[in-house]
Amino acid sequence: MALLLLASCGGNDQGQTTGADTLAVIDNPKESELIGVGGRFFSVPSPMQAAMAIKEAGLKYQKELAIPLEKGDAATARMSQALMLGAYGADMSYATVHKDAQRALATLESIERLGAKLELSNAFDKALAERFKANKGSEDSLMRFSGMAFRAADQYLKSNDALDVSAWMLAGGWVEGMHLTLADPAAAKNAKLVTRIGEQKGTLDGVLALVDGSNVDGQSNALLMGLKELRSAMEGVKTTYVYEPPVTDAAKKTTYINSKSTAEVSPEQLAAIAAKVAALRNLILS
Amino acid sequence: MTRTLTALLFVAVAGTASAQDICQGIASRCEKHITSNYIPDGQFYRALLQGDEMAEFNLTLFGGATYRVAACSGETDGNLVFSVYDTSKERNLLFTNKDHVNAPFWDLAIASTLDVVVEAALDPSKAGSGCAVMLIGFKR
Repeated sequence: MALLLLASCGGNDQGQTTGADTLAVIDNPKESELIGVGGRFFSVPSPMQAAMAIKEAGLKYQKELAIPLEKGDAATARMSQALMLGAYGADMSYATVHKDAQRALATLESIERLGAKLELSNAFDKALAERFKANKGSEDSLMRFSGMAFRAADQYLKSNDALDVSAWMLAGGWVEGMHLTLADPAAAKNAKLVTRIGEQKGTLDGVLALVDGSNVDGQSNALLMGLKELRSAMEGVKTTYVYEPPVTDAAKKTTYINSKSTAEVSPEQLAAIAAKVAALRNLILS
Repeated sequence: MTRTLTALLFVAVAGTASAQDICQGIASRCEKHITSNYIPDGQFYRALLQGDEMAEFNLTLFGGATYRVAACSGETDGNLVFSVYDTSKERNLLFTNKDHVNAPFWDLAIASTLDVVVEAALDPSKAGSGCAVMLIGFKR
């Protein structure tokens, strides 16, 4: 049954608008189901933010922490390819933020090859690589290109009934961001980074919901189990939140969210979290 | 009358346009609100809304960052109402673009990391149904 989609609406500047004035017909019920009706959606923080936090904490850049570049070529299953592609996205962010343009570009080439296997050449193509090469001196430009490319890939996947691939990519990127943060023993001595790990208890709930929600054929069972074990390891992390009234500067179109939060992670909890993240990463690499 | 004719003409010409095509156009317009000083978060959020239905987006916002939230629907800005709440029991309202003429984008400067829920709904005075697109960017 066709569903009318009203792509609203010009005319409101004349103050006459009472309804939508442009109509289009969606004749594919599956597609309308895909985009959800009044549903819940979960966001996973960009792995770029994990890379930035690592750099700001002053941890040493160690490119050997990233996934070996040839590893992606060995991935044959769609799930493995998608997890690896997401993880490479985090590795590329890590290299970019640390101004290792050569490694970032080499990682992009691995992403491009995996992207082709997953039919994501619209997002990761030679043109993107050329833009990277042309802007390799500008960290900000590279970070932006990367974000745009991953968003284009996500849009393509969500528009083509591939929610499982989208979820795997996001999960792979998040796990790799956690790995890059935790793999250096110096992280355990950095209060800000330890807090950042603890703050992602809620994020993990979102990752779990994404993977679980797209696990129609049981392919993600092992991944889900690993994520649930990590969630158990994070259960004891003590978080607090105190609401403070926000302040809005309308002229700057900015609202300052002043609420305060804390996340306390004990050394034992951190070790348990690191072990579960390592297990999840092994799953991605297997 | 003119609006009705326009609508009928669009249907006749467009035939069976897909939600994908319609959302694509909205996404392209919405992307312009994530300007060059923001890094896209790498994700695409969209929902088909009808009537008073609401889409709920769950996010973690990290302290020290400023996030730009862009929310679009239809062919012009201002058709989507979005509100940001914390996830405490009280569910405190942190921001709503309703107070700012349905502004299509807004910046949230975060002092301390928090989980939020963004609720998005069509402005009932402007649209009965449509594709809602939300995009997020951030800067240090």
